[in-house]
Amino acid sequence: MPDILEVDGVSKSFGGVRAVDGASFRIKAPGIYGLIGPNGAGKTTLFDMICGRQFADAGSICLAGVRIDRLRVHQRARLGVARTFQECRVLEEESCLDNVLFAAQDKHLGTEMIQTFDRRDGPRHAVTEEAERLLDLVNLRPLVAEAAGTLSYGQRRLLEIICSLIAKPRLLLLDEPASGINPTLLNVLRDFLLRIFAERRLVLIIVEHNMEFIMSLASHILVMHQGRVLEEGPPAAIQASRRVIDAYLG
Amino acid sequence: MRVRAGTARLAIGALFAAALYLVPVAFAGSPYVLFTLTLTLCYAIPAMGLNLLLGYTGLVSLGHMGFAGVGAYVTALLMKHGLASFVPSILAGTLAAGLVGVLTGVPCLRLRSHYFIIVTLAVGMMLFLLFNNLDWLTGGAAGLPGVPRPRPLDLGFAVVDPRRPAGFYLLAATAFLLVFVIQYALVHSDFGRSLAAIRQDETLAASRGVDVFAHKLTIFAVSAAIAGLGGGVQVLFLRAAAPQSFGFLEDVNVVLIVIVGGSGSLFGPCLGALLFVALPEALRVADAFRMVLFGAALVALALFAPRGLWGLAATVARKLRADRSVVARAGHS
Repeated sequence: MPDILEVDGVSKSFGGVRAVDGASFRIKAPGIYGLIGPNGAGKTTLFDMICGRQFADAGSICLAGVRIDRLRVHQRARLGVARTFQECRVLEEESCLDNVLFAAQDKHLGTEMIQTFDRRDGPRHAVTEEAERLLDLVNLRPLVAEAAGTLSYGQRRLLEIICSLIAKPRLLLLDEPASGINPTLLNVLRDFLLRIFAERRLVLIIVEHNMEFIMSLASHILVMHQGRVLEEGPPAAIQASRRVIDAYLG
Repeated sequence: MRVRAGTARLAIGALFAAALYLVPVAFAGSPYVLFTLTLTLCYAIPAMGLNLLLGYTGLVSLGHMGFAGVGAYVTALLMKHGLASFVPSILAGTLAAGLVGVLTGVPCLRLRSHYFIIVTLAVGMMLFLLFNNLDWLTGGAAGLPGVPRPRPLDLGFAVVDPRRPAGFYLLAATAFLLVFVIQYALVHSDFGRSLAAIRQDETLAASRGVDVFAHKLTIFAVSAAIAGLGGGVQVLFLRAAAPQSFGFLEDVNVVLIVIVGGSGSLFGPCLGALLFVALPEALRVADAFRMVLFGAALVALALFAPRGLWGLAATVARKLRADRSVVARAGHS
C-alpha cells in the first residue's frame, strides 16, 4: 500500500529567497504529527504547497500514491486534503451551523445545479446531527445560530477546525491552531483533537510554536530548518536532539 | 402556533405575484402609469441579474447593460426581419447574451477584483461601440426602429395583446417573475451558498472544495443572460433598439439601481428600479439635477445604509420586532 502522504524534494522560491529547499518526508500511518521549526523555516509554505495554495517549483507530492502537486486547491480538497489557516478563516456572515454545513456540502458545480432546482438538501443536512455533536464537544453548541463573525478569536479557531473536519478528510493540516487561544480553550482544543483522532484515525499535521502543546499532543515530530526537514522522531528524542537545539538557538 | 417559514415565504411570493398581475386592473384607465411600471420591470430584470453578481458573489460588473444590449439587438433583429416569433427570438437574445458573458468571463474572471471591474467597463464600452458603429447590422447611432410587438396570445380564458399597454405589462411581469424565481432558487441553494462563500472569502471557499473559477463563470453567464432577457423585453416594449440604452450611463445606472435598492437582497433591485425609473418620472425632476441628488443620496447610503434601502428597511423591521418582544416580555413579568 502506498504511503498516505509522500513529499519528495519539494522546493519553493520567492524572488531570491528559497522558502522551502528540497523538503522530503513520508507519512505511512494515521497519527498526530507535529511540524515545528524556527520562524522562516518554511512550514507554512510547505502547507501551502501540500494543499495547493502555492505550486512547488520542484519535487512531488503524493496523496495515497496519487500525485497531487499539479492539482488546484479545490481538487485537492475533494481528494481529502483539508487545512486551517494561520490567520483563521471562517465565513463571518454565516452562522456557526451554516459554516459547518457549508463545509459538508457537495460542491461539484453539476450537483449544485441539480440541487438548485430539485431543492433536496443532500449531504448538507445528513450531517446536521454530527455538526451539532462536534460543536458541542468544543462548547460551541449554544452559539450554533450566532454569526461566526461575532465569535471570539479562540472560538473561531475551534469552528474552523470543525469545518475542516466535517467533510471527513484523509489529511488535515492545522496551521498554528494554538496561537491566540487562552489556556482554558487550549485544553478544550487538545482534548478535542485527541478525541477526533481516536474516532477518525486520520493524519493530522500541526504546525505549532507552543512547544508544550505540541509535545503533549503529537506522537511524532518533524523539524524544519532552512527549508528542509532536519530531523524527525518521537517528541522525547526531538527534545534531546543536539541538531534541533542548535537550529533553534541559531 | 408558528407558521412554517417555507409556507410563509410561499404566501408572500403568491401575494407579490398576485399584486404584480393585478396592476393592469388597478390602473386600467391610466396607460401612463402602466408605461412607467413596464419600463420599471425592464430595468428590474437586468438589475436582478447584476444583483446575482454584485450582491451575492461580490463581483462588480460595470458593463452589464452591454449584455442587455446583446440580448436586445438579437431579439430586435430576429423580430424585425420576421426570422422568428416572439419566444424563440427572446430566447435567442438571452442565450446570445449568456454566450457573450462566457466569452468575457473566461479571460477576465481570473483577474483580481479591481482589474476585473476595469475590464468589465472596457467590455461594456466595446459592446456599445459595436452597437453604435455596425451600421449594416444594428443601424448605428440611429438604432433599429420598427421592431414589432409580439402577436396577441390566446390563453383560453383571456387574450393578452402585447400591442396594448396592459397586455405588454403582463408579458413583462411574467418575464420579471420568471427571473425573480430563478434569482430566488439560485440564492437559496447549495450553489448560492458557494457563491456567498466566494464573496466572503475566496481562499477559504477554494480550500473547502469550491471551484471558484467555474462558479464565477457560471454565475457571470447566468447574470449576463438575465440582462439579455431584460434587454429583449425592453426593446420589444420601446419598439426600437438604440445604442444609448446600452451605453456607459446605463451601465452606471443599473449598478446604482442595485446598490441603492439593496444589493444582496431579493427585493432590493426591484425597489431600486422603482426608485430610479418610476420616481424621476413621478417627480419630473430635471435630468441634470437628478444626478446631483442621486450622488448625494449615494453618499448618504454608503454612510448610513451600506446594504441599500432594502437592507435598511430589513434592519429597522428587525429592531422594531426585537423592541416589541422586549415590551411583551416586560408586560408579562
